[in-house]
Amino acid sequence: MKRKIGALEKVDADLTSLQYKVRRDPQSYYEDHQQQYMQYETQRDLLLQNPSTSDDTGIVRLSDLIDFVAHTADCYPKAKATAQFSDDLILILSLHHDELQADLRDKMVGSLVLVRNKDLIDSATLLNTLFPILVSTRSKSLRALLFTKIISDLRSSNVKATNHRLNRTIQTVLFNLLTSDRESAKGLWAVKITRELWKRQIWTDARTVDIMKEACLSENEKVITGGVRFFLGGDKEREEAADESSDEEIDMAKMRHQVGINKKTKKKARELKQAAATVKRKERKNNAPHPLNFSALHLLHDPQGFAETLFSKHVQSKSKLPLESKLLVLQLVSRLVGLHKLTVIALYSYLLKYLTPRQTSVTTFLAILAQATHNLVPPDVLEPLIQKIANEFVSEASASEVAAAGLNAIREVCARQPLAMNDTLLQDLVMYRKSKDKGVQMAARGLLSLYREVGAELLKKRDRGKDATIALIAGGRKEQRFGEETVGDIAGIDLLEKWKEEERRKKREAAGLDPDGSDDSEEDETENWKNWDVESDDSDGSGDWINVESDGEDINISDSEDEKENQPAAKKAKLASETPGPSEPGSKAQSEEPIQKQINRLLTTTILTPADLKQLRALQESAAVKSQMSSSKRAALLAARHADDAITAETIEAAAALGKKSTKEEKLAMAKGDREEKHQSTTAKRKEKKEAAGKSTTNKEKARKKNFLMTLGKAKGKNKRSLVDIKKTMRGHIERSKRGGRRGNRG
Amino acid sequence: MGSSAKKKKEKKKDFQKAKLKVGKTKPKAANATDTGFKAKAIALKQQSLSATAPTVEAQCAHQLSLLNHKSDTQRRDSLAYLTTVISTHPPGSPLPQPASVIISTVQRLVLDGSNSVRQQMLKLVQSLPKADVASHTDSLLLHTRAGMTHLSTDIRTFSLEMLEWLLSVAGDEVVSCAGGWVKTLKCFLSLLGWQAQFGSKWSATKSFGKTVGDSKVQVKQMTTLATFLRAGMSQPKQMAAIGSGEVSFPLSQTEHHVLSERSNTFAHLNLFGAARDEEAEMYEDREDRQRVFHELAEPAIAAGLEQATKGGGELGRAGAQLRKAMKEGMADFHGIDNT
Repeated sequence: MKRKIGALEKVDADLTSLQYKVRRDPQSYYEDHQQQYMQYETQRDLLLQNPSTSDDTGIVRLSDLIDFVAHTADCYPKAKATAQFSDDLILILSLHHDELQADLRDKMVGSLVLVRNKDLIDSATLLNTLFPILVSTRSKSLRALLFTKIISDLRSSNVKATNHRLNRTIQTVLFNLLTSDRESAKGLWAVKITRELWKRQIWTDARTVDIMKEACLSENEKVITGGVRFFLGGDKEREEAADESSDEEIDMAKMRHQVGINKKTKKKARELKQAAATVKRKERKNNAPHPLNFSALHLLHDPQGFAETLFSKHVQSKSKLPLESKLLVLQLVSRLVGLHKLTVIALYSYLLKYLTPRQTSVTTFLAILAQATHNLVPPDVLEPLIQKIANEFVSEASASEVAAAGLNAIREVCARQPLAMNDTLLQDLVMYRKSKDKGVQMAARGLLSLYREVGAELLKKRDRGKDATIALIAGGRKEQRFGEETVGDIAGIDLLEKWKEEERRKKREAAGLDPDGSDDSEEDETENWKNWDVESDDSDGSGDWINVESDGEDINISDSEDEKENQPAAKKAKLASETPGPSEPGSKAQSEEPIQKQINRLLTTTILTPADLKQLRALQESAAVKSQMSSSKRAALLAARHADDAITAETIEAAAALGKKSTKEEKLAMAKGDREEKHQSTTAKRKEKKEAAGKSTTNKEKARKKNFLMTLGKAKGKNKRSLVDIKKTMRGHIERSKRGGRRGNRG
Repeated sequence: MGSSAKKKKEKKKDFQKAKLKVGKTKPKAANATDTGFKAKAIALKQQSLSATAPTVEAQCAHQLSLLNHKSDTQRRDSLAYLTTVISTHPPGSPLPQPASVIISTVQRLVLDGSNSVRQQMLKLVQSLPKADVASHTDSLLLHTRAGMTHLSTDIRTFSLEMLEWLLSVAGDEVVSCAGGWVKTLKCFLSLLGWQAQFGSKWSATKSFGKTVGDSKVQVKQMTTLATFLRAGMSQPKQMAAIGSGEVSFPLSQTEHHVLSERSNTFAHLNLFGAARDEEAEMYEDREDRQRVFHELAEPAIAAGLEQATKGGGELGRAGAQLRKAMKEGMADFHGIDNT
């Protein structure tokens, strides 16, 4: 127990004032510092004789001395004592951290970090000291302390520029910790540190991902789940953390306005200044080039091997992982398979036995199956799975939620691999759109609309719908084959091409030239590069006006013959090395082919600037609004969503939720949202607060509340006063105001 | 100002008396505190029921535990009790508590904040048998050194007294224990401010912790240093009686071959401890000590003495004494050096 120190004793042993003096004038107080250092040394020797004793020796405690020496260490950088001090701390901590008294130990850690912050030791030394203690100590509070210290030190050494060397050494340490002993739970610290640094975007490279990969392959359940959770949620966490930091918006206009109205104080001015600075900083940050952060799943080296080992090690073999962790691992495997289009055939047959409605968390299994499906999975592997889902889940006898979930799962699988379905089963399943339950109905409809897009010939004739039937008759739709890939293309590039052409024509018209004539396109090009940045794009000025095109005008571009010859020629002149474009004047035929080629040329010969991309996006949006959004486009959007996002159990369960009726309470809660319960005016709130604090009313308030009848007498009396009396009161008022009130400070 | 009837009623409610009813428990006050507690086990300290008074051993153990007490007077009284018990016990019989226990608990009090406690502590250790003190010199010396560099002036002067007593009781052990020679010397140098390391200064700066009546303290420091040097470097008095007798004629240098009477004879080999540096090393031989003294302290002390003797008065006398001690100690060393 720490003994209380009397006031007089304190005066005698005043390390704080000595510290202050040493820092002010190190040279003059060198001897005093030396004496205290010797004192520290003797106390340290005493401690080392029996490390578990409390450091309460008399009136000066060892922790105070350590604090003193650490704070003044940078005043004598050349002294031997300074180097000795940090070595001492490192030695004592690493040898005796378990026996030392908690507060003394914490003080030592803090002082060591302080010495590091004064740059007397380097980060690697500090971290190499702290990390082994973190891993080995049994004290929870020390672990928490060390963890924060390690993270903050790594962060501060990466602030100005990435400290590659330090990062590499620490990453190696963490990696070795994981690989050296795969059975121990110590690796959890490597996982925790890595995840935290990933979240703060301090470590964003492939080595970090490698560490987590090792964690996933360890033998300890905690470490495994830690690693797997990182891959499943680490990137989202990072994004959220990034959003959070730039969350609060400051309304500068409002603040300025308020400053103009309210009382001007120094504090308010300072606040305004600070707010302006933060806004400016934020703006600069927003304008800065966005750091290219790849997700952990994309940085993975050899995903195929990783997925295979994960699956065989933790799932397939007789590992003792509980179902929960196994599901996590399966989710990761399926995510990898879906994202990188891997082939892990054993996975599908493994999933087969879990696809029954009685299986716990079966929706997760269904989601895993859907996620693990992609267009390169052989359909005959998937067919039995779909058959089983249909048999087990989708029947009149089963509950509506079950049927809805089954149908939804089948739809999700078939959206990724349409070939896995055969016509009898599909026609059977589609019949459920006549079901009475809304969830089942919607799920079946979803399946129907999906196959109208991707495989209408499997449906019955009357189910195909107008678009699909027309397309089938016209032969516009080709049958998708297994393993077939579509040719890469940028959506809306034709719109951009058209827009560019128009712009050029407008400009030429404005210049009084022939709108269709050729011009030196180089000028045009340089213009483009000037408008590299989105912000400096002046041509947007015309965007305020909506062009209402008269019919057929847009065809102008393509059927004007000379333009056809000239424009490519100009391009050719510039890019001589390119393959000759369709410059033959004889290509009058209005076939698809030249347009296709032209677009390809735009793709292959130019680099799209950010301004271009922005324009492209705008054009796409306007096109989507203008044209009735066809179902095919909707399907494409749906497919795009599928490719990127992870599928969770919620996706599968969503359809079933449609049929469910919510209770009144739920509806009310939903309508209320997270608003506060009772509305109250600001004045009322303030008043309440004041009352709660037990404060009295002001004189003004009292006057306002005073009974009217009581005030009457005084008011009457005022009218009857003599001039002298009035003068007296006036004088009194003036005097009082000069003095500063009735209780003024000038007596 | 309660304006409404409702508020008035609310205010009244606070002062209304709760009605007592027969057969009902009294209602609890609003500010009643629940003093009950839950415990897995309750251990009652057995009160001694024996009619006989506790033994001296038990009482001593109790008083030793009271040395951590927060009150100064209690600590001092416990020390006084222990002192009387030890000083009155018959010479042949063992101490009520082993000396190692007493010393290890008492030695912390060198750094105690209260002067009376420290003085009483010195009396206590003085009452201990010399042989027991000698075997605990190193830890006692460690505490004494901590006191010598203490921020508080009182503790610094007190620890000089302590050191003098230690030297008088176990001078040999003090100078030859681990770190006893070099570290203590350095301690003295820094106390006297005789370390000429930091280049030339314009004027001697006044140290932070030192008060105005400094010269008396300095005199004391110098006299103690002189005693310390004498203990470390004077000629050994006599070898043990075994060697001097002519009875053991065929044997020569018997004293080196008999079992040592000291405890921990091979401590200088440092078989089990951490590696020692130059400061913490044990210097068991007089020659060793002389050499180290010559290297580390002699010039600094000589320079310091010059200034001190210039001052004259009490300071000068103490300086002269110190110089004499130094000369005596180093007399034969220089002889060796010259030849």
